[in-house]
Amino acid sequence: MDFGQIAVSVGFLLILIGVWGILTQKNIIKIVIGFSVFDTGLHMIMVGIGYVKGGTAPILDGAIAPGTAPINIVAGIVDPVPQALVLTAIVIGLGVTALMLAYVVRLYEDRKSLDISSYEDLKW
Amino acid sequence: MVNLILINPIYIIGIGLGTAFLLGFFKKGKSVAWALMLAALAVMTYISFTWLWSFIFNGQLPEQVYTAGFKPPFSINLLMGKSEAFFTFLISFVGFLGGIYLFDKLKEQGTHAISVYLILIMGLNGIVMTRDIFNLFVFLEIASIATAGLIVLTPDIKAFSAGFKYMIASGLISGFLLIGIIFAYYFGGTLNIDFLIQADLLAVKGGVFAVFLIIIALLLELKPFPANGWGIDAYEASPAGINAVISAASAGAVYYVLSKVLPIADAKWYTVTAVVGMITFLGSNLMGIKQADAKRMLGYSSVGQVGLLLVFLGLSKQLGINFEFIVFGIIISHYLAKAGLFWLAGIVKTGKLKEWGILRRKPVLVFFMGTFIFALLGLPPFPSFFAKWTLVMTLSAAGMNLWVGLILLGSLVEAIYLFRWLGYTVKLDDNKELSLSTPLYKTIPVWVFGLLTYYIGYLSSTMVPGGSSLSMFYIPLAFVGVLFIVDKFLPVLIKNTVSIAAMAYYGWYYMADLTEFRMLFAIIFIGGGIITLIAGYAKNGKRIGFYPFAMMMYAGLAGLLLSENILQFFISWELMTLGSYILILRGKKSMPHALSYMLFSLGGAFLILAGLGLAYASSGANSISLDILKNVNQYSGLIYAFLAVGFMTKTAAIGLHIWLPGAHAEAESDVSPMVSAILLKAGMFGLVVLMLSMGSQSLGGVSLPYLLGWLGAITAILGNIMAVFQEDAKRLLAYSSVGQLGYVVFAMAFMSHLGWLTALAFALNHFVFKALLFLAIGGVVMRTKTKTMYEMGGLIKRMPFSFISVLIGIIALSGLPPLTGFAGKWLSYNAVIEKGWYFQGFLVSIAGLVAFLYCFRIIHVIFLGQPKDKFKNIKEAPLPMLIAQYILIGAIMLFSIMPNMVLKPVGDFLIQYFPDGALQWQGGTAISRLGRWSGVAIMNITMGIFGIIFVWLLFISRKAVKVKPFNIFYSGEAPSRPELTHFGYNFFAPYKKAVGFLVQPLVTRFWYGLADILHSISDLVRRLYNGNGQTYAFYVIIFMVVFSFFTIGG
Repeated sequence: MDFGQIAVSVGFLLILIGVWGILTQKNIIKIVIGFSVFDTGLHMIMVGIGYVKGGTAPILDGAIAPGTAPINIVAGIVDPVPQALVLTAIVIGLGVTALMLAYVVRLYEDRKSLDISSYEDLKW
Repeated sequence: MVNLILINPIYIIGIGLGTAFLLGFFKKGKSVAWALMLAALAVMTYISFTWLWSFIFNGQLPEQVYTAGFKPPFSINLLMGKSEAFFTFLISFVGFLGGIYLFDKLKEQGTHAISVYLILIMGLNGIVMTRDIFNLFVFLEIASIATAGLIVLTPDIKAFSAGFKYMIASGLISGFLLIGIIFAYYFGGTLNIDFLIQADLLAVKGGVFAVFLIIIALLLELKPFPANGWGIDAYEASPAGINAVISAASAGAVYYVLSKVLPIADAKWYTVTAVVGMITFLGSNLMGIKQADAKRMLGYSSVGQVGLLLVFLGLSKQLGINFEFIVFGIIISHYLAKAGLFWLAGIVKTGKLKEWGILRRKPVLVFFMGTFIFALLGLPPFPSFFAKWTLVMTLSAAGMNLWVGLILLGSLVEAIYLFRWLGYTVKLDDNKELSLSTPLYKTIPVWVFGLLTYYIGYLSSTMVPGGSSLSMFYIPLAFVGVLFIVDKFLPVLIKNTVSIAAMAYYGWYYMADLTEFRMLFAIIFIGGGIITLIAGYAKNGKRIGFYPFAMMMYAGLAGLLLSENILQFFISWELMTLGSYILILRGKKSMPHALSYMLFSLGGAFLILAGLGLAYASSGANSISLDILKNVNQYSGLIYAFLAVGFMTKTAAIGLHIWLPGAHAEAESDVSPMVSAILLKAGMFGLVVLMLSMGSQSLGGVSLPYLLGWLGAITAILGNIMAVFQEDAKRLLAYSSVGQLGYVVFAMAFMSHLGWLTALAFALNHFVFKALLFLAIGGVVMRTKTKTMYEMGGLIKRMPFSFISVLIGIIALSGLPPLTGFAGKWLSYNAVIEKGWYFQGFLVSIAGLVAFLYCFRIIHVIFLGQPKDKFKNIKEAPLPMLIAQYILIGAIMLFSIMPNMVLKPVGDFLIQYFPDGALQWQGGTAISRLGRWSGVAIMNITMGIFGIIFVWLLFISRKAVKVKPFNIFYSGEAPSRPELTHFGYNFFAPYKKAVGFLVQPLVTRFWYGLADILHSISDLVRRLYNGNGQTYAFYVIIFMVVFSFFTIGG
């Protein structure tokens, strides 16, 4: 098992934990935390998938000898695309978490309750 | 066409994003920020417009837009093709109008809200254009976060809880989408959608996992039933202005995304998509039935419409070349109508459907509401009609009858709640405590979309196969349109005169060349139309909303006769239904009856549509001429049955009749004759076309005409028995129409010369005497203000002319010599004996006897007996109504003396269809195989006998004492239920005891029971949506699990 596989496996585990939290926790702040865990797992999968065994960071610095043929550079670094993607995903995750927490604040201000079943006004 | 300068589509994104950031500088100047946002949206709309224009008119080719100086797959690229131009235009345009509409809300919430709104529109544009799947994810997130923000534009607790639920579900969904994308990258080596399609993920081991997650996530974004509670709650909570954008723009955008990503999967996934769509379409519309809140109901309807689009997408291969046209028609109708309805919901403010009566303060808005509802349901002349038509024809040709059936069923369910809502709006109380403010910024968007609905409808009509033949509707519909425009300004006198002149001219110019059946029905439809309109002079004021719809109905009726192909025929049928629905709805207490009329009519129309589709397919799918009915190769029994039942919803055969009594009785006094004497004949005309084209067919070994014969006979007897027990004069006449049309169906089922002669002659007679009776009784009702017979009485002295009308009418109706009805009877007995259907014939002749009872009752109770005090000074019916009646009496007299005037020409053209057993004529005497009969002789004999008896009666009653009201008294006691003391109440009680069991409202109970079951199911299923965000999230997961069984599991 290399780093990549470990990261992917742990990522899936975190996603499961996150989904479990979202589906079972009654406290809305815990639900938001569930989302954070879910997102973290997701990010780990993304990074893990781009991992190349023995590869270095996809930055052309001292780790890669000057003058290496491009084809060898590709073999020597991890895939940069998922790394770029994960940055975007983190930002989006942050936005979502912030917005959800903002809602939690407003909901709590109104009803003084953090239980999700207190907010079932709209139904059927 | 004019060349427009094309602007790089990247500016759509750039301008949206740039302006949104720029708005941050205008925290104080909210109006400036709002104006800037609109300017940005206008430019974005214009950019898409230039592209759309070039694609349509200048043969523009799709163009790739590259970013960052690399070509894909090394950088993100956008595509601007025809579809992208279309969808981005729709999004920005509704964004622009919606921005105007939201003026007050956005200003209230300030610059941030304005930015978020702009970002939403920008994000949706990006979703449509991007060809990079991760970029797509980013835009989806932008759009969904912006949506979640806008849900709380009116910040109350409901909005926040709905927003939170929305975030939970959409967060989960986008998480799964992201996993799918990253694995697609892993297995496919690229993020570019086109390259992913080429990479064929399903062929790679494990690739199916990526495909599964991407497609399920996109499907879930479209809110499939039942994993869509989060979306529905959001619809209920967010401001209507936002809903308009979400429903019109977001649904279109995400749908388009799915259609561009779905090619990464194979055929199985298409089928699953279609099934998911169908379940959503049916399920959501079922939920809609029990809704009492406008926005939530529209939310269900929106979700349902998107489901329908998914069906098309899933079946895109089977729909072939027609796919684009069908999707276009449905999407554009949904887009215009749903945005329009949500905007109206924002104007009305009150969520409760039963309080929508306040919208009547602005009749134009009610007009547009109707427009939008008709457009949603696919009635002509709106784009969705042409789409639905093409859809049914295409699917039928492909042999996919189950899909046709389910789509039509779903549409019917949708019609239930939308028409009920329209009924509430038109009929329920206008609650004075509620306010209705209609600032221009809120009405302009409604106007724009309302008018566009008509324009796009016109465009669609030119694009549909066979569309060139639709020019026949232009002149009548243009006339209807003009009537709508001037309706508010002109008095009845002018509108009535113009309408009569227009009908006369149209009949003379376009219909004078008609022959045979068509001529006969033209006399009924156009001639009858003119006569009933003459009665309309009795009305004062402006009668807003009457003439356009009456003319629409007549345009439909005329269209039926002029139709040469099934498309024209079906459009005419629908126009007639639509116009008559509104006419019926105008009556005082007609709300529930109009609804059931519309539902039965729509159900019937869908059967007709399905039947026509089958006929089209079975005759080779290469012609839409009406003649295809003569060339069907398979399913002939089914086609026959569908069409016959469809037509019989209009003739109100027993079982399908429950809408009729209420609809005809509650209608206005001159509308009743229109719908009862004229409109019913449209169903008969349909049967004529059907039976002459297809002859006799059988289904499951049973001859269908034989069944029709029984049905007609039973309808005749039961209709008449029910008429006998009515207390309400107009209901009595209405039930009598049920029975009489039963005769017609019975006689037509003979498929013999005499049978058809009977039916056609009777159709003409029935039109004359039923119009006469309804006009006469209508006049009485107008004066007495009651329809209940025992509340009248003794009116002969006050309303002698009406009395004579009714007298002539009932003699003609009951088939007594000397009037026309007798000719019909004589013919029908000849026909029965020839055919040998003795038992059915016996039933029908009993029905004739029963008719005597109600004829006697209606004239006796209303005109004879003691006059009531309150009617002592009552006036005769208005002159225009009497004129119309006496024209009809003239016609009855003429036919009675010279029956050969009608029977001979009708018989002459019947010979070519039924050569055997024609009547021989010697002057005015008809000779059949069984006997002879002369109208003049009968008239002389009868009048002679009548004269002798009349003189004798006068002689013996010269000493009779006249009874006055005060000769009758109650021994000083005031009866608690005064009607019990009236002889006219429960007039035929002994008969009721004897045969009342026959007319227990079994059929009514059946249909109401069905309605109850439907409502109960709806009520039961909607409890799935328990309002808990976690439950909704749970459904999302369950949906994924179930979906996985059918895609990767199997």
